[in-house]
Amino acid sequence: MEKQVIQSVGFRNIKENGLVTGFQFKVRLPYYRGVFLSQLRPGTLFVDGERFEKEDIIWNINGEDYSYEEMKDDWKTHWGVTTPAVLKVKKEGGLAQGYHQLKYGFCFTSSYMPPVMQERLDPDEESPIIMPEFGHHVNERRLLIV
Amino acid sequence: MSETKKVPKRGLSTYCFYPMMDVNMDLEDIFIHMQDMGAVGLEILADGIIENYPYPSNKWLDKWFALVDRYGIVPVEYGHWVESRLVPGREASVEECLEQLIRDIKLANFLGFTCMRTKLSVCDEILTPVPNWREVIKRALPYAEKYNVVMQPEIHSPSKLTDKMIMDYVEFIEKEKTKYFGFNIDFGVFQDKEVEGMNRPRFMPLDPSKPEDIIPLLPYVHCCHAKYYNMSEDFEETTIPYRKVIDIMIEHGWDGYLLSEYEGPKKTDINHCITQVRRHQLFMKNILGK
Repeated sequence: MEKQVIQSVGFRNIKENGLVTGFQFKVRLPYYRGVFLSQLRPGTLFVDGERFEKEDIIWNINGEDYSYEEMKDDWKTHWGVTTPAVLKVKKEGGLAQGYHQLKYGFCFTSSYMPPVMQERLDPDEESPIIMPEFGHHVNERRLLIV
Repeated sequence: MSETKKVPKRGLSTYCFYPMMDVNMDLEDIFIHMQDMGAVGLEILADGIIENYPYPSNKWLDKWFALVDRYGIVPVEYGHWVESRLVPGREASVEECLEQLIRDIKLANFLGFTCMRTKLSVCDEILTPVPNWREVIKRALPYAEKYNVVMQPEIHSPSKLTDKMIMDYVEFIEKEKTKYFGFNIDFGVFQDKEVEGMNRPRFMPLDPSKPEDIIPLLPYVHCCHAKYYNMSEDFEETTIPYRKVIDIMIEHGWDGYLLSEYEGPKKTDINHCITQVRRHQLFMKNILGK
């Protein structure tokens, strides 16, 4: 596992039945404990400026696919800190060979923090008070696809 | 015949090594550090340390028991959370909170822990627990008793030892006549000097509890977070009146575990964290005499 939230390992196009239907990349949880899926607040993905909505991104946790809607109510499935999640994005033809600038936001709730600090959680914006143990909401990385 | 004086014992929380994953440091490395320092009392943050939490594999469990045995580790406190804001838009029900709590009570007991740091969800800025905490804890008490683990919320700054919530906890313990609910007092509540290099949010002015405020609470305290923000080159904590607090503990015969927990600046730098925890353990060893 790499120190960065967006991992270089796992960045590739997705082939289905011989056709490239999208791409995937991995993120790790920048926290000192895991979360249950309903605690996650996935945000928007930008690849070279192209926007992908949160509802269109599938999270794969421990080998299982979860849609944005499915994760909202799932407080039994756990995402641990040592296992990066695979994010799958539909895009006909996938991404071209070469470098891509990825920018992705996500965050999570913590019931031990005062509600006032939690109500305005926005995965696409940083919190007004940065606490290192919660990581950054928005992470960027320039990665190479082969 | 002279009586042996009771003094607190030394241990640490795995949180001291919070950036451990950045450098692939693992549990065994932490145990080796503990053995080096003679600080064998352990607090884990269950979700974070236990692989595949909350359902560890037999392979992981075998490793856990072998390491605990090899390094002479005493499992003291099992850190866990009861999440009330679990699903967007609604509060978790009593049953949902209880389900989380019982799951952790069983796992804590299985791993050999006798205390839990039961992090309840909060409803305001001074960290008052959610209104249904009494019902949740009351219904969990028979399980805590059966599995012999004490549930302990952590009293953490900006809470104060004289806050109403503490009186409510004490009243609850007395009413239920239970030994299975108490609290972990985080030494950060005594912080009376600012930490260099850390900006305090404006809505959280420094407002420390007095060391003697701990006296009436000691019977309910099974272990403490020995919080440190800054350990100097000459092994002194510069922001918390440690000696006063520990003297009071010794005077009252309190001999639970003091678990190092670092929350100072640069806590994302593992080398800094290791230096700080070693200084902190030496500091406590100097005060405690062992």
